[in-house]
Amino acid sequence: MIDVGETWSTLEPTGRQRQRIDAHVAAWLEARDTPLAAEWLGLLKASPFSAVGLLAASTVSLAAATPAVWLVVALLRS
Amino acid sequence: MIAAAAPDGVALSPLVAFFAVFTRPQGDDAEPAGGLDEDAIARLVDQARAGDASARQALYLQHVDRVFRVVRGMLRSDADAEDVTQDAMLTVLASLDRYRPRPDARFAAWVIAIALNTARRRFRRRRPELTATGELPDVPDAGIDPVAALDRARQRRALLVALAELPEREREIVSLRYGAELNASDIGAAMGVEPATIRKILERTRSRLGARLEDLLGREGGTR
Repeated sequence: MIDVGETWSTLEPTGRQRQRIDAHVAAWLEARDTPLAAEWLGLLKASPFSAVGLLAASTVSLAAATPAVWLVVALLRS
Repeated sequence: MIAAAAPDGVALSPLVAFFAVFTRPQGDDAEPAGGLDEDAIARLVDQARAGDASARQALYLQHVDRVFRVVRGMLRSDADAEDVTQDAMLTVLASLDRYRPRPDARFAAWVIAIALNTARRRFRRRRPELTATGELPDVPDAGIDPVAALDRARQRRALLVALAELPEREREIVSLRYGAELNASDIGAAMGVEPATIRKILERTRSRLGARLEDLLGREGGTR
């Protein structure tokens, strides 16, 4: 009778499969471990205009959202 | 800086290169997973929780092949098995804070339970036909004897055919037994089934699989 356990060893990942899995997991861990500030600094280095544009858009959104939220809350209460 | 190259020649980051250094040879030279005892694993878990990246990598390396072997037995393609393996390992590494050691269950059983759930979610997204049987494995690793590689490929194909013929629950149980090398108690804990029931199913499935493999390999003129 064939040994199922021994035959199961043929289901091992190949070296290439392992490399792909390792690369995805490592990339995810790297992204998770990179602080947001470092991401911004990296973006600033790689693409300064886009980074400044994004920063400006974020600031405008925050500035506009605060009074808008205040207005909605005031309307709901009235 | 550590340098390594991906198969397609793309340069890898240092962290990826770190993993690449530890990638073990596959096939006949591969050692079974599970070299560390539970105390050593528990220490690694504590260190990883405290932010030690090398402990986290050690846990990853200890379990990734085992997870792949299990899910490959359950899923229909190598691509699905790769996806599920990486998703499951990411869940494991991101959830270490939620792991609570128990005297009656090994860390590997917790890892495999996560892999099992990840694979089941994959089943639900894509209804089976569970196991593609005619699929060839990835390009064989360099340095492997072509005759041995052919024989392994034949055995692999026969195993996938035989697994595809099993009901889902039996396929899961044998995958956990032979892929993860879990015992009946660990399998029972992972699946919420009594160990005695697992033993019965294992005994029945083992002989059924063995007979089917003999039939398939004999019919193909295999060397076994």
